[in-house]
Amino acid sequence: MSIVEETRIALLEMFPEFAAADAAARAAADKIDDEMETMIDEMDSIEPATEGDAPAGGDDEVEAAEPAEAATEPVPEPEEPEEEGPRENGVMLTDHAARGTDIDVLCAPDQVVQAARIMDESGFFLEAITGVDWIKDDKLEVIYDYNQYGQEQCRVVVRTLIPRSEPEIPTISDVMPSANWHERETHDFYGIKFIGHPHLIPILLPEDADFHPLLKDFKP
Amino acid sequence: MGTENVPSSIVQFAQLDKLLYLCRANSLWPMTFGLACCAIEMMSTGGSRFDISRFGAEVFRPSPRQADVMIVAGTITKKMELAVKTLYDQMSEPKWVIAMGNCAICGGPFKCKNNYNVVEGADKIMPVDVYIPGCPPRPEALLEGIMTLEEKLTGSRRWPRIQPEKIGSLT
Amino acid sequence: MTVPIECRQDETFVLNLGPQHPATHGVLRVKLTLDGEYIVEAEPVLGYIHRMHEKMAEDRNFAQFMPNTARMDYLHALAFNHGYCLVVERAAGIEVPERAEYIRVITVELNRLISHILWWAAFLLDLGGFTPLLYAFDDREQVLDLLERVTGSRLTYCYFRFGGVYNDIDDEFITGTYAFIKRLRSRMPTQYHALVTGNIILQKRLKGIGIITEEQSRRYGCTGPVARGSGINYDIRKNEPYSVYPEFDFDVPVYHECDSMARYMVRMDEMEQSMRIIEQALDKLPDGPVKAKVPKILKPAEGDYWASVETARGNLGHRLVCDGKKNPYKLKLRSPTFCNLSCFAEVSEGMLLADALAFMGSLDLVIPEIDR
Repeated sequence: MSIVEETRIALLEMFPEFAAADAAARAAADKIDDEMETMIDEMDSIEPATEGDAPAGGDDEVEAAEPAEAATEPVPEPEEPEEEGPRENGVMLTDHAARGTDIDVLCAPDQVVQAARIMDESGFFLEAITGVDWIKDDKLEVIYDYNQYGQEQCRVVVRTLIPRSEPEIPTISDVMPSANWHERETHDFYGIKFIGHPHLIPILLPEDADFHPLLKDFKP
Repeated sequence: MGTENVPSSIVQFAQLDKLLYLCRANSLWPMTFGLACCAIEMMSTGGSRFDISRFGAEVFRPSPRQADVMIVAGTITKKMELAVKTLYDQMSEPKWVIAMGNCAICGGPFKCKNNYNVVEGADKIMPVDVYIPGCPPRPEALLEGIMTLEEKLTGSRRWPRIQPEKIGSLT
Repeated sequence: MTVPIECRQDETFVLNLGPQHPATHGVLRVKLTLDGEYIVEAEPVLGYIHRMHEKMAEDRNFAQFMPNTARMDYLHALAFNHGYCLVVERAAGIEVPERAEYIRVITVELNRLISHILWWAAFLLDLGGFTPLLYAFDDREQVLDLLERVTGSRLTYCYFRFGGVYNDIDDEFITGTYAFIKRLRSRMPTQYHALVTGNIILQKRLKGIGIITEEQSRRYGCTGPVARGSGINYDIRKNEPYSVYPEFDFDVPVYHECDSMARYMVRMDEMEQSMRIIEQALDKLPDGPVKAKVPKILKPAEGDYWASVETARGNLGHRLVCDGKKNPYKLKLRSPTFCNLSCFAEVSEGMLLADALAFMGSLDLVIPEIDR
């Protein structure tokens, strides 16, 4: 199994409602695979048979993930995620060549610690934390980028949306010590309060700074 | 910031002053004070090719108490402002300031809309004697700046200034 | 590591290292709580050269932000050019001609060489050796001449364009580069290794000092030579290949000692690998255009994009969020030294003050890149 697939399954722990469906789909896919293998063994001409019998779609995504995606309805298609309305929470595979990331997770604000723990156990390191100010939707997006040292590339982005009026989110600095500085920086720039952070003082701005320059309505 | 008026002493030793300034001009001790990119060009100037010691200014001193000239090499931010001012105040008289690079002259590329953290020019916080434009200035420009400061001190230039039209005839 | 018991005293004092200190390579400040000569607690204080790059990116259009990239990490400016170009090219779907990719690799690697040479000089200056600086600047100026010839500037390059490079390289650059590599190869064993690497004082000051374990390295997100000195085989050029790097044969030096000497050796070996890449690229340099046709004002599609490159200090990431307008909606810069330095507090605990400075030098700090 590829590392992307392994990580996807690990991350699905966060969403039990999809995990069961996903496991079932994977079992079905395995079964199909097994059946196919036996069929392939029986047949002489391999190529046309696989193409004809391959389950749903012929996308450039990881093959093993395909049937799973087809089975778990709430997971949107990777091609056009922003097609109909806001995206729902869940795990999504993205095209590395087009996006630079492999797995994209949208979760509730209180799930980021769980996500960090899963990533930590899977041997990932934290690349960056940042915010995005969606002033039109009155929301702040917090983005966590994870990466790993393996020879196979797998970059995971975990994102969550919090209300702009009450920007609070639990800290992950006790799981990942590198988050300490990243969270302080995000606090500087966006005013996001990381609940439970040991030392949430300005890191890049002057010690007495009371402004958050990367908010879209900031005026110096 | 306006010009600083240092009251002159009642008794003047014209010839002695001249001699002192000649000595000072030929042994300007800059302070080791790199802020940003320009600091690397300042290091290059001290390095083997440009060799600032030809002009007696190679003694980079980390302590402001031992330095004559402060080369502000880089951007001054709001957080750094107080430290720069303190360093300048700690230098003993007579002292001079060279603003090296566009950031130290006026904020350079960081003078922008929504500027919240950059001080637009070293002359906002202390008197500056020589401005060296460039982003970053070449080492030759820094050498020229030092010679300009010498000229300011002694009233005469050590080397003749090469006119642009003469460069063609020299090569 | 903790303070040895026989050295423990009842009282500690606070020492401010920086923001104006020659060993901090700029304006880093470290608040040290010392017990005699031993560090009880170290707290780096950043932000003395925070120059609002991320805010400026939002106010400017894509091309206008290009000069800023070089002013973050002025020692490896072309890698920052490259990283920013990659993410914008990914967002806008721009194809780069092959010759341009080769020129990018050649110039980036030349820049990496001089970045390491300058680090070498400054690091030894921190340790008290002045002479290497003069040798190193001699070599560095040779490369600066070459790069100035094609890029037009000495330090803060703005050479890359979306879809290519600004200027084609000429024969003089090619012969000059070959000559420089030959020269540096001949000087490497004598001038760099015999004079410095084998020096007993250097070895005693670096071996076993500043140990960053593999696990620490991961938890703090260290990349680049710092991670490779901790036994992690991680190089974006190999692990997440971009540009034309897959076409070259080069090794990733990895040392397992985890100390300052390991990081020193990684950088010294990397210089050799950079020379190998440059030679291969020059040998294989294809003909063709150096710039694709790209509209002056770019308006990439909505969405967010990530691109990473390997700079001399580690993994530089750009996260670009576009909203379909002519300027980035948000540009996040993941700078390598910011993460590499974050382990300083934990690692330097119980260290001698002089050792902490050697350790800090081995991290290869460029402060404007940390503060952005």
